[in-house]
Amino acid sequence: MEQNLQKLFKNATYSPEGRLSGDIWNAIEYKNAQITKWKRFGYLGASVLSLFGSAFSIKSLIAEFSRLGFYDYLSLAFSDSGVIATYWKEYTLSLVDSLPIASLAVLFFLLFVLFISIRRASYQFKNRLLIS
Amino acid sequence: MENDDEYLIKEYLDGNQNSFKLLVEKYTPSIYNFSIRFVGGDYVNDIVQDVFIKVWKNIKKFDNKKSGFKTWIFTITRNTITDYLRKKKMVLFSSLDEDEVSFGDNIKDEIILPDEALIKLQDKELLNKLLDDLHANYREVLILYYQEEMTFSEIGKLIDKPLNTVKSYHRRALIKLRELVKKDEF
Repeated sequence: MEQNLQKLFKNATYSPEGRLSGDIWNAIEYKNAQITKWKRFGYLGASVLSLFGSAFSIKSLIAEFSRLGFYDYLSLAFSDSGVIATYWKEYTLSLVDSLPIASLAVLFFLLFVLFISIRRASYQFKNRLLIS
Repeated sequence: MENDDEYLIKEYLDGNQNSFKLLVEKYTPSIYNFSIRFVGGDYVNDIVQDVFIKVWKNIKKFDNKKSGFKTWIFTITRNTITDYLRKKKMVLFSSLDEDEVSFGDNIKDEIILPDEALIKLQDKELLNKLLDDLHANYREVLILYYQEEMTFSEIGKLIDKPLNTVKSYHRRALIKLRELVKKDEF
């Protein structure tokens, strides 16, 4: 009975119009193109913003280094190495203390975003070139 | 078959766009045939398109350890149909009374649908009309079992019911079908 029923049911299937799967594929390709376009502009925007952000961050980082006396501590290492050999612990702590940690963290974060967004944007553009 | 699907998915995820196109071509007839029986002909193309867009968007989430691709795509289809009908304020896959479901479990297969009934059901228009008259849960079990050749276990996963309930739905569906064939004679 089971095989007979299978035959009967298979005989009673509804079939779609021939172009349906083609239409579906076109709809998917259209959506894909839309998403890719937005992604491309998104990554490009993120690249530009992070590039400007990094430049600004480097500028303020240089100012921070001067303000906190990092250069003074650093020059001491070249001018009087004997003092540093004696007080190396205090010297290291002072050097670390003079680092603008927050500004450095912001710069690394912006450089990371810049790197990732350039990589993604170039991948999107490369795909577009390959498709066209 | 399932291995073919998994291979196509892997190929697609590796960057071969044509593999997904092959999946669309392969499953469009089945999804169309299943959907039209619950939503009718007017919106079926939109539903089928919606199903494939959902599959395309979620293909990375497909886990072959949980279920086969066919079960997965039919689950998405069933959910899409339910959402569509909910918007239309219609309830389709409501739960059946379990007592009612277990009725007929002792009847032999040959008696459920005798040869005369099978002969009558060779008329495909009659079969489709009678299927339309069945409760949606019974209809879907019969379609998935006989047209899609899914196992009871796969159907159970799809409709989220235990194996015995699916078997009971199947048996009860055949009994209802016999009743409808008899009714149609008069």
